[in-house]
Amino acid sequence: MLKVTSLTVRYGSIVALKNVSVHIKKGEFVALIGSNGAGKTTLLNAIYGLVVSEGDVVFKNNNLSKVASHKRIEMGLSLVPEGRRVFPNMTVFENLELGGFKKDKQFINKKIDEVVNLFPVLKERFRQLAGMLSGGEQQMLAIARALISDPELLLMDEPSMGLAPMVIKEVYEKLSILKKNGLTIFLVEQNAMAALKYADRGYVLENGKIVLQGKSNELINDNEIKRAYLGKEYKEKWER
Amino acid sequence: MQFLYSGITSGSIYALVAIGFNIIYNTTGLINFAQGEFVVLGGMLMYTTLTMFGLNIFSAFLITFILMFLVGILFERVFLRYVRLKTEINLITVTIALAIILRGIAMMIWGRDSLAVPSYVEEKTVLLVGGSITSQSLVVIVVCFFTAIVLSTFFKYTKYGKAFRACHDDQVASTICGIDVNLIRMLSFAIASFLGALAGAIVAPITFVTYTDGVMSGLKGFSAAILGGLGSFWGGLFGGFLLGVIEGFFAFILPSGFKDAFAFIILLLILFVKPSGLFGKKKAVRV
Repeated sequence: MLKVTSLTVRYGSIVALKNVSVHIKKGEFVALIGSNGAGKTTLLNAIYGLVVSEGDVVFKNNNLSKVASHKRIEMGLSLVPEGRRVFPNMTVFENLELGGFKKDKQFINKKIDEVVNLFPVLKERFRQLAGMLSGGEQQMLAIARALISDPELLLMDEPSMGLAPMVIKEVYEKLSILKKNGLTIFLVEQNAMAALKYADRGYVLENGKIVLQGKSNELINDNEIKRAYLGKEYKEKWER
Repeated sequence: MQFLYSGITSGSIYALVAIGFNIIYNTTGLINFAQGEFVVLGGMLMYTTLTMFGLNIFSAFLITFILMFLVGILFERVFLRYVRLKTEINLITVTIALAIILRGIAMMIWGRDSLAVPSYVEEKTVLLVGGSITSQSLVVIVVCFFTAIVLSTFFKYTKYGKAFRACHDDQVASTICGIDVNLIRMLSFAIASFLGALAGAIVAPITFVTYTDGVMSGLKGFSAAILGGLGSFWGGLFGGFLLGVIEGFFAFILPSGFKDAFAFIILLLILFVKPSGLFGKKKAVRV
């Protein structure tokens, strides 16, 4: 469904991603893990066109390089950005409506009914400003908003960031339900254990390069994971 | 009481200019210093269409507004879009430059004299408690309130109005949701330009219009926006009225030569005492 080939992203003279290739099949739940600054968010932003990149991003046989960022949602992509980025001064309901900006009202209302079934907490908060929600609720809202456009591939950036372990578990359980319903999910995550527990397959990103990939249950027991997950400094300290 | 009535009239104009400032500020983070020039152009175009071409009032308004809408679009598309390094300070400087250019063009086309725009309604004086108000002033006040209500409904309930607010909150998230942020930026300039022209057009029969008027209406509208809280829609409206009334009051008790100074004394006071303005709120902090 999604095929990323030799993607390179530069911020000035710094190379944030170097020749990264990732592919995701329909119906898969794929996690990409890596430590802080490995380039995870950059990869998602490049797939969504929010940063300039070299290399190919092909989604459902369409090359996305000529597609403007704000048009990618119409192709069936959707992104839950880093730090949730809900609209803080708008109500929960308005946030959800904006998730379906390109769809008609009837469609939006139908989808809103569907997503509040999955996230009942949002229904109680419809008229509240999104900025007043707790971190976990904002994360649910961000996911719900991304679902209104009825995407085929959901991209997620660190759903566990800043959340309590109980809430992380809740978020991931919702994601497994979505996967069961046929949604393809690609998420990047620092919390390797949480992500690999629920994902089918995983990639490990380190300093802008993919260093390891495989089935989740294989990766989860891999010593290399612990090394990549803990980061480079740690590795050097250990080797010394 | 008389100062109250005349204050509300000039306040309506400040309010429309202030709302223009706020709309652009909310979507782009810029202060558009050419806002006052939009007011002048509005008045000038009304003069051209009504007096020079002899059109009827309805088509004169229509042509003026369409032209000013286009001016706003051109302003953003051509001049701001192609600035190489888009820092806020650079772009604000461009708006100052454009204000000066527009003023020069206005002088070349319409000359240095004050132009009289004929009255849109029959001139009558309405007696009120403790004073009176002209039918001209009533038109200004009614148009201002009507515009404020239409705009606030637009922002609150319509799809594109919500997109404007979304861009104000978070432009990256707006892009992710499929909103074309560049289009919204362009439209915000178009609406601001339209509002300026509206203010200029309705006030022209009372004050006449001179090519240098833009400096004062721009700066006073800016003071009104700061007074009400930069970025706040109702703050801009209320700030405009408050500024108009205070100004009218001081013009009443002090020599009228000091009148213009008061807008700026209020501006300074607000910046010293409550920089966020009367209705300004801090941007919600993201967790």
